[in-house]
Amino acid sequence: MGHDETYVLRTVEERGVRFVRLWFVDVLGLPKSFAVPAGELEAALDEGIGLDGSALEGFARARERDVIAHPDPRSFQVLPWRDEVVARMFCDIRLPDGAAFPVDSRQALRRALDGAADLGLTLQVGCEVEFFLFAEPAADDDLGAVPRTLDRGAYFDLTPQDVGSDFRRRTIDLLERMGIPVKASHHENAPSQHEIHLKHTDALSMADALTTFRMAVRQVARELGVYATFMPKPLDGVPGSGLHAHFSLFDGDRNVFFASDAKEPLSEPGRRFLAGVLAHAGEMTAVTNQWVNSYKRLATGMEAPERASWTRHGRSGLVRVPAGRPGKEEAARIELRSPDPACNPYLVFALVLAAGLRGIERGYQLGAEDLEDGGPHEAMPLPEDLRIATELFDRSELARETLGDRLCDWYVSNKRAEWEAYRTTVTEYERRRYLALL
Amino acid sequence: MSDAWIYTRDAGDASWAAKLLAELGFSPRRVRANGTLRPGDADGAPARRPDVALVLDDEGDVCARLRLDDELCHVPVILGVSADELNGGGAVLDAHELLVAPFTAAELEARIARARRQVNGVEHGDVVRVGSLEVNLATYQVTLDRRPIDFTYMEYELLKFLVTHPGRVFSREALLSGVWGYDYYGGARTVDVHVRRVRAKLGQEHAARIQTVRSVGYRFDK
Repeated sequence: MGHDETYVLRTVEERGVRFVRLWFVDVLGLPKSFAVPAGELEAALDEGIGLDGSALEGFARARERDVIAHPDPRSFQVLPWRDEVVARMFCDIRLPDGAAFPVDSRQALRRALDGAADLGLTLQVGCEVEFFLFAEPAADDDLGAVPRTLDRGAYFDLTPQDVGSDFRRRTIDLLERMGIPVKASHHENAPSQHEIHLKHTDALSMADALTTFRMAVRQVARELGVYATFMPKPLDGVPGSGLHAHFSLFDGDRNVFFASDAKEPLSEPGRRFLAGVLAHAGEMTAVTNQWVNSYKRLATGMEAPERASWTRHGRSGLVRVPAGRPGKEEAARIELRSPDPACNPYLVFALVLAAGLRGIERGYQLGAEDLEDGGPHEAMPLPEDLRIATELFDRSELARETLGDRLCDWYVSNKRAEWEAYRTTVTEYERRRYLALL
Repeated sequence: MSDAWIYTRDAGDASWAAKLLAELGFSPRRVRANGTLRPGDADGAPARRPDVALVLDDEGDVCARLRLDDELCHVPVILGVSADELNGGGAVLDAHELLVAPFTAAELEARIARARRQVNGVEHGDVVRVGSLEVNLATYQVTLDRRPIDFTYMEYELLKFLVTHPGRVFSREALLSGVWGYDYYGGARTVDVHVRRVRAKLGQEHAARIQTVRSVGYRFDK
């Protein structure tokens, strides 16, 4: 037994952990969890635990599949939830013969990272996550109604500021106790909207942190009697929620993006990486923006990007390149602004890395900066809706090479089913507009 | 979990010492003393810097070479000798503690504790206390003001390394090899990221104990 496993078993005993939750995500990035009693943990670490792999296939499940969840002892963390001592471990999902289950997006990211590591490269990611806090709906079937924001309602005895600041304090505390260093701010763009920055770390840890983060935020919201949503665009007329991801690429201790020439925003390989991300932005959009609702955020602008452009100072470019500071090599990075917080971060990071590395390998040339001065620009528009994005993704050789055919096929069938459900639904908008008129 | 490396050519001595060390809670590994200072990786596990080295056979000046090795120079070394080897030679001076055969398990435990305290400044027993921070090396539990702090395995290993070597500056590379093992490929950024996580969990008051030493590395302040 490895030291890490001994550490896990001893800690479970010392801390009186009764259940360990084994976590994984489905192909859409939605968290799945099952509990293992402390007494069965040693066997679970040793042999893994069998489960039905169709749980990973999102909403488009087919027949059952036997797969084995292997918990990663290095991800063992006692959770700082109130009341009970529980711990979590992330799992790799494998087939009974030991091969990776092709629909496991966490392993898909790790394969991409391992490929980069063979070149001596590691991808670092920092994230700004936006989300809304709303008043708990009176009943479950009210979910279709416009949610009530906290900042204006008199729903609570506490003033809105109290809920918001309680929420932020408690969330930061929880995240830091789980080893996720953060910086939080209240967001002024929309009522009830919050933003939390997760400080940069390696890509796999960041994807795990985002998964943990979404659960922690929901947990705190529940404790305070409100609910949190990462839905990309919950309200009309105000900005939606984005997940701005800051990427940098390191070769050992050296930031590959850093330009020693202060006139250049990025180094030569950095510019090529960026060109790769922009060139493949269209086919990645089904992953950065995976829901029907994601496109409502992109369509309305308000700081969400609409075309595959880059900018240094603009507010609507797909990628912003923060101004380099002489001597601050570590800070050189690119900020991708399209993803929303309801994405599957494992797939997003894997594709961004693959697109960027392709840009470096094949020497892509970076187009002109979009100065956002109203002048014409050549940048390609992003897909307008989930249907177009899904077709681009389906045909993407980059996505298939990076994520594998099986995963891509499952992803596409999920997204087609979602589009079909949306396409065949009569909406509130239509009734309001047509019922009396026509 | 603490590693102990045993240096000897004699298989019998090695398995006897390994048994004693395992009873004391160490994971023992044998180094064959055939010129190398590190265990072979026959069992595939990456070799981390050990918590203690037990030299039963100083063939090839193991003790002196441990002192000169960049990565192993801070490992507490206990030298086992027979009475007629006690002639004041080099190895006797190079080791941190001496054991004269025959010796008992209790004496071995006491010598290890003395050597570790000499090198690391660790308090008696397995509990390291720094202000209201307490790290129990036997149970892997860390408390702050008596409240538990829950670390992941690698965060714990990093904190343990730092608190048991207070006041000393370690480069990122030294921390990588000491905590993660020599063949870890994650890169020096790994150290920074873990330091940030450990600081976040320690909270404001204790986070500052892990000092960043500009362009060198990190130091834990008592």
